[in-house]
Amino acid sequence: MAKHNIDLLIIGSGFAGIAAAAEFKNSRLRVAVVDENLHVGGQLLRTIPQNLGKKERFRPDYVKRIGFSFIEAAKQNRIDIYNNTRILAIYPDRRVLIEREGKRVEELWCGAIIIATGARERYLPFKGWTLPGVYSTGMAQVLMKSSAVLPANRVVVAGTGLFLYSVAYELVKNGAKVPAVYEQSPLLDKLQLMPALMHQVSKAIEGARFMSRLLFSGTAMRFRHRVIEARGSGSVESVVLARVDQHGRTIQGSEKIVPTQALAIGYGFVPNVELLQMAGCQLDYDVEKGGWVAVTDDHLETCVSSVYAAGEVTGIGGALKSINEGRLAALSIREQIGEVPSRLAEKQRKKLLWQRSHHMEFVRLFNGLYRIPVAAYDDVPDETIVCRCEDVTVGAVKDAIRLGLKTPAALKLAVRTGMGNCQGRTCGAILFDLLSGIGGTSALDLQPFCVRPPIKPVSIASLINPVS
Amino acid sequence: MKDLRIKDVKRNSPVTIKVDGNQLTAYPGETLLAAMIANGLRVQKESPVLQEKRGGLCGMGVCYECLVTVNGRPNIRACMCEVEAGMEVST
Repeated sequence: MAKHNIDLLIIGSGFAGIAAAAEFKNSRLRVAVVDENLHVGGQLLRTIPQNLGKKERFRPDYVKRIGFSFIEAAKQNRIDIYNNTRILAIYPDRRVLIEREGKRVEELWCGAIIIATGARERYLPFKGWTLPGVYSTGMAQVLMKSSAVLPANRVVVAGTGLFLYSVAYELVKNGAKVPAVYEQSPLLDKLQLMPALMHQVSKAIEGARFMSRLLFSGTAMRFRHRVIEARGSGSVESVVLARVDQHGRTIQGSEKIVPTQALAIGYGFVPNVELLQMAGCQLDYDVEKGGWVAVTDDHLETCVSSVYAAGEVTGIGGALKSINEGRLAALSIREQIGEVPSRLAEKQRKKLLWQRSHHMEFVRLFNGLYRIPVAAYDDVPDETIVCRCEDVTVGAVKDAIRLGLKTPAALKLAVRTGMGNCQGRTCGAILFDLLSGIGGTSALDLQPFCVRPPIKPVSIASLINPVS
Repeated sequence: MKDLRIKDVKRNSPVTIKVDGNQLTAYPGETLLAAMIANGLRVQKESPVLQEKRGGLCGMGVCYECLVTVNGRPNIRACMCEVEAGMEVST
């Protein structure tokens, strides 16, 4: 198997990873960035690939322009960026197994590692959410941004959180009809965000822009509404919505049916912490940060020496927080190898940590306000699928929890949740909600999923044909 | 359903791919998932136990609901794979 020595491996080329990479200008370190996606930039810094064509109007907002400038800087710094590269395993001694282009496995020996693996979407299951045409809000956006394809001409957007409006805006801008955006929490929650947004000027401006465009195009904004069913033969044709009471339960008799061609759902985000866990880093379960997050010190170093965490993996907070933490992690490493004098590093760190404290305030407020209420699960019918890979129902999971099972590992053995291809990445957050909700397991007693290599499915061909 | 390809993009020449024996027009650089959706194909696989028709959910390589066979290679995520001329896909 091919082995390479690398001074710094950055895992993930989204805002946090690429902001870190951009800091290594004229560095003597050999830095490499790896990313599973086909193109650099993670989920937010997306454009259509060159071979597809050219967008006539491509005007990314202020924060994304910064992000794209980091990509340019990283390229100029002659940092190796490996796309279409998956991590299969990572060990506490900073050895990493990667699979490149779905073909060959290589081993990297790394001096330091920054884990900036971002986040994935969170779901609240409902009857019919497995119907084709029910898409995550992220998928709706990815289709438009990376492939210039609309998910459908008419799309209902529903769930919770500010991202709903961003996706609805993008849909309308690109020519789709969005009859309404349904938010399960009350409008009052939105108003509570206002003071925190004062520190996030770009977010506030962006939000105002989205809202005005949506109102102008005739998209209705409905609060305290939740999707309880998607209907259709073979593909979604209509959705059933219900009003939500102050405890987060759906109100019987308030149902209405809205015809649509597609449904985009989003309930916030879940940090991708599996690699941190495999590397031996300590995790903490904190719903105000988005679930399982990495525990770090002020240098963003985890409890594993020279393994750092940056971006969404320390708490769901968006692009600006990720930039801040990418810089902070890079600063720690540059100081340690003497490329930044200690006194200067201390000064820069102080400033970055001050900014970070504001981002963290936003993280807590945002994730707290938009969390899925425990009572929401009372109304999910027992036959609803939770684990899509293995077709496990919410009723089966609830029964297992009521029998006394307390960990995702026990649930996996009992009912197969998390046993399939996605390894619990889709149903995991739902299981933790159920374990703490109906199971009554406290955050301190919750345990994460067990992770072991290969962390994502790999073909036998890749394993038996390593490059020598 | 009207054409789902977003209008303000100057695309390079299209190519033909085959999905379950049917010829589709697609553009290199689109993800296979996007090309299928643009052609009205929302189903990529069947679930293992209930044998329900399923299609991509996350669109970013997490959920494995869009697994297809590409040029004889099984278990390819359609969302993580870009269109190439002459691709043969089966769902």
